Amino acid sequence: MNSLTTYLFLAALLFSLGIFGVFQRRSLIGMLIAIELMLNGASINFMAFNRFLAPDPIVGQIYTLFIMGIAAAEAAIALSIIVAVFRRLGSINIERAQELRG
Amino acid sequence: MMNLWTLFIPELYCLLMAVVFFGLAMSASPNPRRDYFAALFMAGVGVVVALACVRLEGTLFFEAYRVDLFSQVFKVMLAMGFFLVVCLCTELNGIEERHHPEFYLFLSTCTLAMMMLVSSVELLTIYVALELSSYSLYILVPLRRGDGIDVEAGIKYLMVGACASAVMLFGLSYIFGVTHTTYLVEIVQVLPSVIGTPAAIVGLLLMLCGFFFKLAVFPFHFWAPDVYQGAANQVTAYIATASKVAAVAIIMRVVALSGGNSKYLVDVLVTLSIASMTLGNLVAIVQKDMKRLLAYSSISHAGYVLIGILSMSASGYASAIFYALAYLVMNLCCFLVVVKVAHDGSDLKIAQLAGLHRRSPLLAMALMLAVFGLAGIPPTIGFTGKFLVFAAAMEKGYVTLVIIAMINATISLYYYILVVKAAYLMESDEELPGLPVSIPTKVLTVVLVTVMVVFGVFPHHLLEVARAAARALM
Repeated sequence: MNSLTTYLFLAALLFSLGIFGVFQRRSLIGMLIAIELMLNGASINFMAFNRFLAPDPIVGQIYTLFIMGIAAAEAAIALSIIVAVFRRLGSINIERAQELRG
Repeated sequence: MMNLWTLFIPELYCLLMAVVFFGLAMSASPNPRRDYFAALFMAGVGVVVALACVRLEGTLFFEAYRVDLFSQVFKVMLAMGFFLVVCLCTELNGIEERHHPEFYLFLSTCTLAMMMLVSSVELLTIYVALELSSYSLYILVPLRRGDGIDVEAGIKYLMVGACASAVMLFGLSYIFGVTHTTYLVEIVQVLPSVIGTPAAIVGLLLMLCGFFFKLAVFPFHFWAPDVYQGAANQVTAYIATASKVAAVAIIMRVVALSGGNSKYLVDVLVTLSIASMTLGNLVAIVQKDMKRLLAYSSISHAGYVLIGILSMSASGYASAIFYALAYLVMNLCCFLVVVKVAHDGSDLKIAQLAGLHRRSPLLAMALMLAVFGLAGIPPTIGFTGKFLVFAAAMEKGYVTLVIIAMINATISLYYYILVVKAAYLMESDEELPGLPVSIPTKVLTVVLVTVMVVFGVFPHHLLEVARAAARALM
């Protein structure tokens, strides 16, 4: 289990699951969770590359910390807009938000 | 130490602006006049500050932040874009009065983030700056007073944007894995030797996705029409101008990384450029809403800018910088007319332009020139921009690409002329009153029109600046 390929594979899997989820999910919360999965895939990549290829300095770990912080800010903004969507449209299903077309 | 901080003055000034509006947002009673004049004054000073700092050079923050002519020229453009958008806010009816300080606050933070973006030369700095600018815009879009289309546009913008930034981050991780560094300076040395490996090329392309989202390049364009229509007119003006300029800057920095010897990258950029131009122009033809039309036109213009960038030569980068500036001026002029004609903050249908030449001859003339500029008709700045971009691509031998772009420019003429026809030849059914245009607006319109024509005929000075900036990049 101690090889770079394992981690890269795991990260790619998480990332693909995330992309699949974004297209598959109809609920905004579900889409948000899928996006978090994609970010986590990138975080694992950074950690793995850091651990196996470029151990010094610990840039990868710093990146992961930043990604976590920024993802939290993103979730806060996304949830606040989702609350606004729910108040205006009465649902957080993306199919209800189809006014704009053309 | 003092010396280093002076390099950071334009950004610090934007931060100061954000703090001031944060304070104003705390006040109990809304006062739109006070907010407007505060914003106008501070944004005006901001342009002067950015101009004063244009000659500075140096690096900051452990080399993660480079101040050079390239970044400073873009900072001046961003400060100008911000100032001109604030100029359009005399009647900010699209946004509730008590939210006006927040509106200016997020415009300031977004300008700050974009100024940081054009100076960043380290991957994490780029990521943080890009996210800060995106988050400000995510909040600005649903601020509009209205019936739900604003939150719908806001959530679509956020979901597409968050997806694009996650994809970009995944690309960054591969770049880090291949090159073992996060500084662009070091990546530039390592990347050309490994650009043939799949991981490097995938990483670079995924990384570009995040920036293509900002520029609304195919296949990350589908947010643009909805967001343009759903956001308040002034916010749309900002997204369409300043935000695009910053995206052009960072795409240039990243593409310059490849060192100009990756055939795959050029092929992909050519494909995306053709797809953006064709799709934008064809779909724009059927649009009825003015802001949606401008959105599709912005998608096609993203394609034209990419032609300059993918030439990967000094003249290519210079032409792209020139084009970005031309696009900023022309688009702001269009939005000036949109904001003034739809002064109650509603969406403007193209049919509502009918009879504009009698209601306000000045605005009609400005709209005609701006639209002709976007279409690339001489003697406007838009023609010069297109000419330079196509010339740079011809130098590199991309004849097919240039021919396709020229066919596209011809297609685009059709819908641009529809707009001019609505403004000049169609009469409205009911008798509409004349549009009162205040003196400052008149001055602003005349200045924009003058810039469009004068720099269209005599582009040398501007072109010199663009060339010098491109040299700083390479």
